Amino acid sequence: MRARVVVTGLGVVSPIGIGVSEFWKAALSGQSGISAITSFDPFSTDGYRSKVAGQVRDFAVERFLDSAHGERVDRYAQFALVAAKEALADSGLQMAKEDPHRVGVIVGAGMGGMVMGEREITQLYQQQKPHRVHPNFIPVITLNSASGIIAMAYGAKGPNLTISTACSSSAHALGQALHCIREGRADVVITVGADASITPLVFAGFCSLRALSSKFNDHPEKASRPFDRLRDGFVMGEGSGTLILESAAHAKKRKARVYAEVAGYAATSEAYHMVIPREDGLEVAHTMRLALADAGVTPAQVDYINAHATSTTIGDAVEVRAIRQLFKSRADKIAISATKSLIGHTLGAAGAIGGIAAVLALHMGQIHPTANYDDPDPTCALAGLSRSAQERRVKVALLNAFGFGSNNAAVVFKQSTV
Amino acid sequence: MATDPTISLKIRTALGEYLKRDPATILFTQHLRDDLGLDSMAVIELLYRIEEAFDLQIPDQDLVGLTSVGHVVRYVEKRLGKTASPAPAKKPAKQSKPKGNRKS
Repeated sequence: MRARVVVTGLGVVSPIGIGVSEFWKAALSGQSGISAITSFDPFSTDGYRSKVAGQVRDFAVERFLDSAHGERVDRYAQFALVAAKEALADSGLQMAKEDPHRVGVIVGAGMGGMVMGEREITQLYQQQKPHRVHPNFIPVITLNSASGIIAMAYGAKGPNLTISTACSSSAHALGQALHCIREGRADVVITVGADASITPLVFAGFCSLRALSSKFNDHPEKASRPFDRLRDGFVMGEGSGTLILESAAHAKKRKARVYAEVAGYAATSEAYHMVIPREDGLEVAHTMRLALADAGVTPAQVDYINAHATSTTIGDAVEVRAIRQLFKSRADKIAISATKSLIGHTLGAAGAIGGIAAVLALHMGQIHPTANYDDPDPTCALAGLSRSAQERRVKVALLNAFGFGSNNAAVVFKQSTV
Repeated sequence: MATDPTISLKIRTALGEYLKRDPATILFTQHLRDDLGLDSMAVIELLYRIEEAFDLQIPDQDLVGLTSVGHVVRYVEKRLGKTASPAPAKKPAKQSKPKGNRKS
C-alpha cells in the first residue's frame, strides 16, 4: 500500500506578510500587497506600461536567519530559506533525530536568481570586462541554488530536486514531493516554491508579452482583480511558500500536528501554445479530474478551489469554463478564491502559497476573499467567489496551477483522517 | 620583509570584510585555507575583490602561489610594480586547487 502523505508545517514570505500568521491575517482581511514598483531603483519605471507589483517589503535576510546561508544566494533563494525555516520550526521536526537521507528538498522556481543575473549581464555588456563577472554568478543563477542551499542549511541528504514549469512550478513540486513520499523514497520533503524577479528586464519582458495589468497604475491595490469584468492582465509578485510534507506514519510516530492530507496530484501538458491556454478548457478540466481520481474523491466532494486565477482576460475565463465542465451543478456550490488578487502572481511560488491557503482553509475553516471582485464578469462568474472572507467547513480542497509552456497541475488536499 | 602599508591594509580589510573579523587580527603568515578557513571558492571570491580593489587581472597560472596573506600582499605589490611575475609558492603541498574541483 502506498504511503499517505500529510502537511505538518507551513512557512511563507509574501507581499502581505512574512510568516504564516501575518500572511493569513492579512489575507482574511482582503489586504492588498500590490503597490508602485520600487525595486528597480535607481532605474525608473517611466518607460514601462505596467508600474505595479506585489513586492516583499523591508526584507533583509540576516534579520531572519542565524546562519550565513543567505549571504551568497539570490533574493528568491533567500525567501526560500526563510520560508523553509519557519515551516520546519512549525512542523516541530528535529533534524538531529532524523535520518538525513530520508529528508528531501523539492523546490519549484520559475525564474531563479534574476537579481544578480541581470546585474552581471548588464555590467558585462556595458563595460565589456569579462573578468569582472562575479565568481558566484553561475552558482547563484543555477536554478537549483535554492534547493541546494536549503539542504545545506539543514543537512537534508535525501532527494534534492528543482522543478521549473513557470507559474505551475511549485504545484508540481508539491506533486513530486507527494510521489516521492508515497513511493517510499523519503519520509519528509521540504517542499518549496520561490521566485523574486521583479527586475527591470524580466518585468519588461512580461510587459512586452502584454501579460501585465496596465490600467491601474494609479491605483495599484486595484490592479489584480481575477474574475472581475475590468481585469486587464496579471500583476507580478514575489515570495516563497514552504510546506513540510511527510508520510502519515512518520508524522504519527513523532506525534506531529497535522494540517491536512495531500491526497492527489495530476500533471498534464496541453501541447498547444507557449503562453496561451486552450480556450475550451478541456485540458484543465481533464487535469482536475485526474487529480481528484488520484485522491480517490469525486467532484461532488470538493468544497473549495484555490484557483490559478491570474487576472488575465482569457486565463480566468478558461479556468471557470473548465470548472463548469467538470463540476457541473456543483460548480456554484464550491467556495473559490484567488490568492493572486492579494499578492499578485508570484510565479514559481504561486502553487506553494496557494497550497498554503488551501491547507489553511481545511485546517481553519476559513477562505480568504478574492480582492477586487467588484463587478463579476459573466463569462467567468461563480457563486462561490466572494470579496469577503468565508467561514465554511472544508473537507476537500483543490489547488490549480497552470504555466507557460502549456503545462497544467492540480493538487488535492483533504482533511486528515490519519 | 617590508611591505607597502597601503596595499597590505587594503588586502587585510578585504579579507576582514569577507570573514567578518577585525583586519588587525589577520596576519601575514596566515594560510588562507588552513588558518583562515577559506575554501577554494572563497579564495576565488577574495581574489575577485582584490582584482577590483587594485584594478588588476590575476591570470589563472598565478593563483597557484597565492596561499597565504603574505603571498597575496607580495603578489599585488609586484604586480603594481609592473613586474608581473608569479608569486612565490613556498608550500606547494598546501596549495588549494583553484580550479577543476567543483561539480559542473
